[in-house]
Amino acid sequence: MIDIFLSTYKFFLGATWLTLKLTLTSLFLGSCIGIIFAFFRLSKKKALNYLATIYINVIRGTPLIVQIAILYFGIANIVTLSPFWAGSLALAIHSGAYIAEIFRGLIQSIDKGQMEAARSLGMPYHLAMRRIVLPQAFKLAIPPLGNQFIIGLKDSSLVAYVGMQDLWGAALSEASSNFQQMNTYIIVGLYYLALVLILSYLVGKLEARLEVDSKNRPNRTFKNLFQFKTASS
Amino acid sequence: MICIKQLHKSFGSLEVLKGIDLTINKNQVVVLLGSSGSGKSTLLRCINFLEFYDQGEVWINNKKIDFHQTDLNKVREEVGMVFQHFNLFPHKTVLENIIEAPIYVKKMKKQEAEHTALELLAKVGLKDKAGEYPHMLSGGQKQRVAIARALAMEPKVMLFDEPTSALDPELVGEVLQVMKQLASEGITMVVVTHEMGFAKEVADQVVFMDEGKILEQAPPHVFFNQPESERSKKFLRRVL
Ligand SMILES: Nc1ncnc2c1ncn2[C@@H]1O[C@H](COP(=O)(O)OP(=O)(O)OP(=O)(O)O)[C@@H](O)[C@H]1O
Ligand SMILES: [Mg+2]
Repeated sequence: MIDIFLSTYKFFLGATWLTLKLTLTSLFLGSCIGIIFAFFRLSKKKALNYLATIYINVIRGTPLIVQIAILYFGIANIVTLSPFWAGSLALAIHSGAYIAEIFRGLIQSIDKGQMEAARSLGMPYHLAMRRIVLPQAFKLAIPPLGNQFIIGLKDSSLVAYVGMQDLWGAALSEASSNFQQMNTYIIVGLYYLALVLILSYLVGKLEARLEVDSKNRPNRTFKNLFQFKTASS
Repeated sequence: MICIKQLHKSFGSLEVLKGIDLTINKNQVVVLLGSSGSGKSTLLRCINFLEFYDQGEVWINNKKIDFHQTDLNKVREEVGMVFQHFNLFPHKTVLENIIEAPIYVKKMKKQEAEHTALELLAKVGLKDKAGEYPHMLSGGQKQRVAIARALAMEPKVMLFDEPTSALDPELVGEVLQVMKQLASEGITMVVVTHEMGFAKEVADQVVFMDEGKILEQAPPHVFFNQPESERSKKFLRRVL
């Protein structure tokens, strides 16, 4: 196994980089889609609400591999998408549905009194949402989003089937030439495991910062979170 | 100042307000009394349009408010509200809670807003708490901040919905004290409360509601000494 590890690590590290690019691109886009569709779901406008409900149900109700294939092969007749963008978009649209549900739940979990207090001060709905409700919802979003990001990282392996040399793609082609399927797949599994552990660690760090902060400064927002200064200042 | 005419409001099949007529004059303190479920909160929330009534009219400053046409945000700027559960913004400091609306709604300069906020905090006796987050405050302090926050918009009328009901008994006094001070400054107030002492001492008018209707309206010495209806007598026997 060690010899396989040594003979593949250059190839696999390159593939890891592609997996990371895919994951980051798709999760960034997926979060944007998720926030937008969360608002559609909460909207009083029936059309938007239906649109979001259909989107969420269709995406959650069909396999990711089917979605990737449709986007890559189906859309190919209309616009040509590179495998990278087809994969990223499919992953983004997929995770977007789950992220939409996360944000919807979080926004609804914020006490109604917050919105009412803001409105009673004359704040228009969107301002109250942006300044009062969302910062509180975002703070709660880190654990479930972290979880979704881990799923997204692993799901990205499916783009190998539209010909991408991501980690899983690299493993498939390596195994077909060295005929050591089992060992190759275990090694690539360890690569994924390492990535997931690093991601969980980062999410945990972020959460811990929040916990520490909430002892003296509760409900710090995303904006505050990324100003990495000592909590005691 | 505020004139309510034949207000009706239902939640589904439950009719909560059954034709309310009420006039609130400038500089007056009106205390709304009534047993639980009589519609006091709903009436209050119709005045700043947190709730939309089904029928009737609300006039504020001789302007009829039509909630399809009037800019309700402008109306709400002029009608401050204090809630039973304070509803302070937990992710903002006391000072930030108070300057939020003046800055983002009234477009006031930050410095000016902070200056006013500190004056208001001094008024409610909490100047030293400006930098604290709400979770560090006691209930009474939270409610006083909430009052300062509402006052920062310089409303023409203040609505209070059971402002002391969620407080430990020993903290009720400090909030009532602030409210008395506001009353003595001539701020127009509509107060839902179960504090009969406050009603007797501060109210210009006591309004007694029962099952979505106003049964009695009188100055406090009249209402408390010679209640007219059986309902109000029974209510007073229970609360006094
Ligand atoms: N959003 C709502 N949806 C359905 N029913 C409601 C709603 N808000 C209030 N009600 C009902 O309307 C009635 C009057 O409620 P309201 O809160 O106005 O009473 P209240 O006089 O303030 O009582 P309390 O002293 O308990 O606060 C109650 O029966 C209540 O259950
Ligand atoms: Mg009530």
